Amino acid sequence: MSEHESMAGLLALAAAGALDIQQQRLLEEHARACPVCRRELEVWSLYGQSLRRLPQPPVPAQLMERTRARLMSERTAAADRTWEALMLGSLALFAWSVGLAFWFVARIVTGGQLLVMGANLVRFGTWSAGSTLLVWLTAAVAALALGKRRRELRRAL
Amino acid sequence: MILAAAMNPEAFSGAQDAVVRLRRGDPDALAAMISRYQHRLYRYLLRLVREPGAADDLFQQTWLRVMEKIGRYDARRNFESWLFSVAHNLAVDAWRMKHGESLDDPGDAENHGRPLGDWLKTGDPDALERLLDFERGARLAACIEELPVIHREVLALRFEEDMKLEEIAAVIDIPLSTVKSRLRRALEGLRAAMEARSPERRGA
Repeated sequence: MSEHESMAGLLALAAAGALDIQQQRLLEEHARACPVCRRELEVWSLYGQSLRRLPQPPVPAQLMERTRARLMSERTAAADRTWEALMLGSLALFAWSVGLAFWFVARIVTGGQLLVMGANLVRFGTWSAGSTLLVWLTAAVAALALGKRRRELRRAL
Repeated sequence: MILAAAMNPEAFSGAQDAVVRLRRGDPDALAAMISRYQHRLYRYLLRLVREPGAADDLFQQTWLRVMEKIGRYDARRNFESWLFSVAHNLAVDAWRMKHGESLDDPGDAENHGRPLGDWLKTGDPDALERLLDFERGARLAACIEELPVIHREVLALRFEEDMKLEEIAAVIDIPLSTVKSRLRRALEGLRAAMEARSPERRGA
């Protein structure tokens, strides 16, 4: 490859300011002696200048405000989800504790046996399985209802 | 602009301060950052996706992602290139969903444009005059739209966002040598498109 050809490969990159110091120096030296490359360098330089002065697209109306509103909305939704999860956990823990207390009372009152359709309801395994299921269902419904009420109140405010 | 920030310590420390406040969830810092980057970020996304509606949505998604990830942002890294890399990744995902291919696939980009040697062989003595004669900006912008997306992107980052080659490499997550080759092909493709649109050629 001749020097002219190898320098030709650098012309476009020169317009982008993408040559290292040595390449830039070699190209400039070559262009001083080569009218074709000198002219090409001028053309590419004009491309570079024009690319830095392209017509600028207008930013859509209220882009910043809409972005902030979307961010706030997402943040609020995330906070709501966290609040509902915490509420669900707290309600479930509370209800399960109440269920356990009732189990002690029920055992004392029934003398340790409360048969319904052949199953002893005050046996620990049966009681805890039943109360856990009931507790989680109730807590989930309560957390959702409280969350809905919270969102409604926020909207009203 | 990066250079300006680097040369202006007050501007740089102001940006860093805004990032620190952004990490704390300060809404004023968020507003300041969106305001600071809205023109550049929107322009970059628009150059990539070409549709104002899609650029608008990606702009908003970029800030959502920034707020999600700001806790993991390495403060030693340039915030600007991190921000643009977040936008790039979202644009890649959107592009992949819409077109079923990666934004980084060269596609027809490798064949786009004309080898530079051809320009020198043909001589084309009127190239400079023609370039000066026409409404350069608008025509150039129209020609850029014809380029493959990976070429539009490097042109936007280099010439409009004034990023260094290393920063472009960090934004797109490609080697420096690939940035250079993309830039060269992009410029050659742009020149080919400009020449194809010249009135002399159309009239021929």
